[in-house]
Amino acid sequence: MLLSTPWRLWRSAISTLKSLRPAPVRHLSIPTDAVCDADTIFALSSGHGRCGVAVVRVSGPASSMVLRNMTGLTQTLPPPRTALLRRITDPHTKELLDRGLVLWFPGPHSFTGEDSAEFHVHGGPAVITAVLQGLGSLKGVRPAEAGEFTRRAFHAGKLGLTEVEGLGDLIHAETEAQRRQALRQMDGELGHLYQDWSSRLKRCLAHVEAFIDFSEDELIEDGVLNQVDSSVHRLQTEIERHLGDERRGERLRNGVQVVIAGATNAGKSSLLNTLCQRPAAIVSPIPGTTRDVVEASLDIGGFPVLLSDTAGLRDGLDSVEREGVRRARQRVEQADLTLVVVDSTQLPTEPKQAPTFLQGYLSIVLPQPSGGNPEEGREATSDRVLLVLNKSDLVPEAQKERTERELRESLGLPPACFLSCHTTTGLGDFLAVLQSRVKTLCGNPLSGAPSLTQARHRAHLQQSVQALSQYHQYRNHDLALAAEGVRLALTHIGRITGRVGAEEILDIVFRDFCIGK
Amino acid sequence: MLARKLPLILHNLPWSVSSRAGSDLARRHYDVIVVGGGHAGTEAAAAAARVGAETLLITQKIATIGALSCNPSLGGVGKGHLVRELDALDGLCGRAGDWAGVHFSILNRSKGPAVWGPRAQLDRERYRQFIQSELLSTPRLTVLEGSVEELLVSQSNPNEPGHHRVTGICLVNGSQPILSSSVVLTTGTFLSGSLFMGQTTTPGGRIGDAPSCSGLSHTLRETLGLRVGRLKTGTPPRIVKESVELSLVQIQTPDKEPTPFSFLNTHTHCKPEEQLPCYLTHTTPGVERVVRESLHLNCHIQQDSKGPRYCPSIESRVLRFPGRQHQVWLEPEGLTSDLLYPQGLTMTMPPDLQLRLLREIPALHRAEIRTPGYGVHYDFVCPTQLNPSLQVKSTQGLFLAGQINGTTGYEEAAAQGLWAGVNAARAALSLPLLALCRTQSYIGVLIDDLVGRGVTEPYRMFTSRAEFRTSLRPDNADIRLTPRGFEEVGCVSLRRYKEAVRVRDSLQEGLAALKSVTLSSTRWREKLVERLQVINFCSFSISGLDLLQYKDVSFEMLAAIFPEHLSPYLEFSQRLNIEAVYRPHCEKQSREIERVQEEESLSLPPDMDYLSLPTSLSSEVRELLDRVRPNTLGAATRIPGMTPAAIVHLLHYVLRTAQRNQHTGQRVKAACKP
Repeated sequence: MLLSTPWRLWRSAISTLKSLRPAPVRHLSIPTDAVCDADTIFALSSGHGRCGVAVVRVSGPASSMVLRNMTGLTQTLPPPRTALLRRITDPHTKELLDRGLVLWFPGPHSFTGEDSAEFHVHGGPAVITAVLQGLGSLKGVRPAEAGEFTRRAFHAGKLGLTEVEGLGDLIHAETEAQRRQALRQMDGELGHLYQDWSSRLKRCLAHVEAFIDFSEDELIEDGVLNQVDSSVHRLQTEIERHLGDERRGERLRNGVQVVIAGATNAGKSSLLNTLCQRPAAIVSPIPGTTRDVVEASLDIGGFPVLLSDTAGLRDGLDSVEREGVRRARQRVEQADLTLVVVDSTQLPTEPKQAPTFLQGYLSIVLPQPSGGNPEEGREATSDRVLLVLNKSDLVPEAQKERTERELRESLGLPPACFLSCHTTTGLGDFLAVLQSRVKTLCGNPLSGAPSLTQARHRAHLQQSVQALSQYHQYRNHDLALAAEGVRLALTHIGRITGRVGAEEILDIVFRDFCIGK
Repeated sequence: MLARKLPLILHNLPWSVSSRAGSDLARRHYDVIVVGGGHAGTEAAAAAARVGAETLLITQKIATIGALSCNPSLGGVGKGHLVRELDALDGLCGRAGDWAGVHFSILNRSKGPAVWGPRAQLDRERYRQFIQSELLSTPRLTVLEGSVEELLVSQSNPNEPGHHRVTGICLVNGSQPILSSSVVLTTGTFLSGSLFMGQTTTPGGRIGDAPSCSGLSHTLRETLGLRVGRLKTGTPPRIVKESVELSLVQIQTPDKEPTPFSFLNTHTHCKPEEQLPCYLTHTTPGVERVVRESLHLNCHIQQDSKGPRYCPSIESRVLRFPGRQHQVWLEPEGLTSDLLYPQGLTMTMPPDLQLRLLREIPALHRAEIRTPGYGVHYDFVCPTQLNPSLQVKSTQGLFLAGQINGTTGYEEAAAQGLWAGVNAARAALSLPLLALCRTQSYIGVLIDDLVGRGVTEPYRMFTSRAEFRTSLRPDNADIRLTPRGFEEVGCVSLRRYKEAVRVRDSLQEGLAALKSVTLSSTRWREKLVERLQVINFCSFSISGLDLLQYKDVSFEMLAAIFPEHLSPYLEFSQRLNIEAVYRPHCEKQSREIERVQEEESLSLPPDMDYLSLPTSLSSEVRELLDRVRPNTLGAATRIPGMTPAAIVHLLHYVLRTAQRNQHTGQRVKAACKP
């Protein structure tokens, strides 16, 4: 699934090449005098979850307009780079969202080199969501795409060419985080809704295109277009209602997603119960006891965590268990952090064999990195995985110590903790490691704030509705321009559900119509 | 312009005496050899000669140069765009269409200028004559009758990418090889072609012509190691016009005022009142019955190679969409021809059953067949093995165009032919090869789709393939392509260039003039009394340019109000109308177009070793790049499975290399201007 058009991201990076090339001659089209202003972008640049202060950054030519509209500073802007305490209000309803600090950074003396602004607001999810939605509702302002702030900084010459390398990695990290976040959101009802809109739009476009490309020679009646008219109208109404409907049905899974995974009977459910300090999941010595995903919300070191216990991974005996395993794998794919539970008694007793055994174990439990680069994969793994060596009370102390030493010395394995859920030995150390990991994840804006994903979705939906009105505007006198409206609308929905190519549209055309020449 | 073309009688042509050629030619070295005299071959040969290369066109039968093997028509929706662009680059087919057309119409007239489809029914004889006489009068072009047995290849030039280098060709019974710097293969359906009719199969590419290219097919596959696939197509039976009950069909009349294809022509050769009509009729359930009953006798339809979904045989139409009426167009074959061409009735069953099928249609109940329909299976070279210049990546100097690349249609073939001819000539003259960007032309879309994505069925142009459709219109093909065709490509005559520049400048001035005439909404209302009700003014001061965006306002109306400002541009009133409506939409697209052009302007070296590139790319992406070998960074972004991070890494690598090699010229110059 392609989340956004990431190719757009590095466009300006390319433009540095212009300095290396002779000046181009433009003569291929009638020159236009219109200047295409760059969009103004915003993003939550602090972590999400329960933090004291959240920082929302805005960059681009409309930054001063944004500042005026959100803070009621109609007369003068704040002095540059000075914090000012203001009431922050919704730009349209003027409803008070929060009282917070605002800062104004006129270009070029800002991180991106453009006019920029910052809003420091209280860190609650409700406030953050409201501020992001307010920003998204302003004309010409949209959520930033992965790596876009850094890319703009690069474009403005604030980063050197050598730092492009780092930009690549950053974009990789951000797209990964957005991908996981989007996977979680697309999983539910909302995902189905977007997919449904996308496929209906595809059909509309295919039918308009069929009418344009074939109706002169073929039996394609005007009735086809009348159907498209009403489909487009219905879609417009549905999307508009959805946008006006203060996110009914959108249950956001807030918090760091921690998933417990591993072989059957390794003690995954025991770990969940230990962490919850209550029996949330049924525990038994029978392998395959947990079949569905069991969820619990916890607070670890002050950070919200959504803990999921999954079915043990094995080739299931019945269809219910197989479904459980499928869901388990899906959860691991979407997780911010995976606790891979191992039954310590299964560890090989011979010296130096444990690291190899655990490598193999991880490769079964974790999804193979899509990048395919073993280096990259390993790096990502050690960040997002903790090994829990459970049932340590059943392992001789000497073997435990030797294994611990061997694991410390071996490269490429995620941190490992010996633990006994039964006796709670090692629980303190494990909790300390877990807490620091959750803290890092929460403090990192890249771990995918749901409200930001939501703001991005809203922005695309809004643009989609706007584009659809172009269809009606031109429907009766220029079908090419009307079709362009549907195509644009589909492009915007496609930023959420995945890009749609010309071939896909033609497939629908040939499926639905008998086209000759 | 057209008047000087006189009908030619073939045996008068000096180059038809081809027997003398053998010994002379053997000693000669040509810049470019074009193999094949169809739509791709003729455009390729003419373009190569225009660019300045000594060119030899080799065809099996001189008499069939410029023959329309299938339907007697040119243009249409999408295809008409290609014809206009070919004309803008000084190609032959637009002017040939204006000379040979007997029924002109603009399809999609009511759907917006971006998708207008200029189209004409052609007189086969006139078309052939025009193409032949045009080739005759082209300097630096020689035509030779013969069949090519083998492609001569040698070691590649180590300074350039590629494993082989083409050195010329060998004729079937030719004593000595004919040498050249470049070879353009436009062999159409003749590459391992076989004809199907009923249960009989004969080798060949077109009925009535000897099979050829058996050796070529072998060279391409075995010596050059090219991947080859198989496609099929077909043609309908030709019906004797007298035997058709014309009282039972609908008559479709042409446009009252024919619109020429060519930017150089103000009128067509055929007078408006001389135009011929087309006829429309429909299939019946009896047709479906005959198809079903004859399936076991129909080898072609049983083959599992891919035929076009959009030009299906009547067999596949009724099998895929049973129980329906299908349209059948009866098209004239020419002013003096006694035949009709039944568009939509391509069939490959035995001839007696073809007759039975036809007679199931009321208007054809006593129809007579002159030549039966048949199917063709043929090899094509997977076009992902080509550069955007249409040169084979692995073989220096070898260019392919037309059906050999997996396309269908005259216009698609001609478009590739022209571009292959241009580059074959440029390669021979040691000029950098050029590409056309998909942001600039349908030809660019066509070639980019072919070399970037390959084909799974015969490729035909549709307007929906062009993402920048609102900018790539038939009306502005000259402004998009002619100046570049002259200044950079070298395939456009000075006369055409001057005309295009005049038009471009006048349009600019006209738009500026429109912008300069400004009135308040009240004043406009007074002046445009009769149009008042439809216009909903929203601002106080409105320019003529803004006003033209309303569909009921035309340039002529405004010129009547401001004659001193606008009447000089009345010649361009239609184009100014279109520009005014489309400008805001094109401006919206311009940023996206710029992005694509920037990406396209970064060429990736064709011999890049992706597997060991010292940058952090995942092994999956490395393999992907190694397999597809994109020509530009833009092409790389369109590979399914590429990651944004990988693109940035690649960009970084290219930037560094570009900086290092700033002074060493690059062989393949990416042609999109940022």
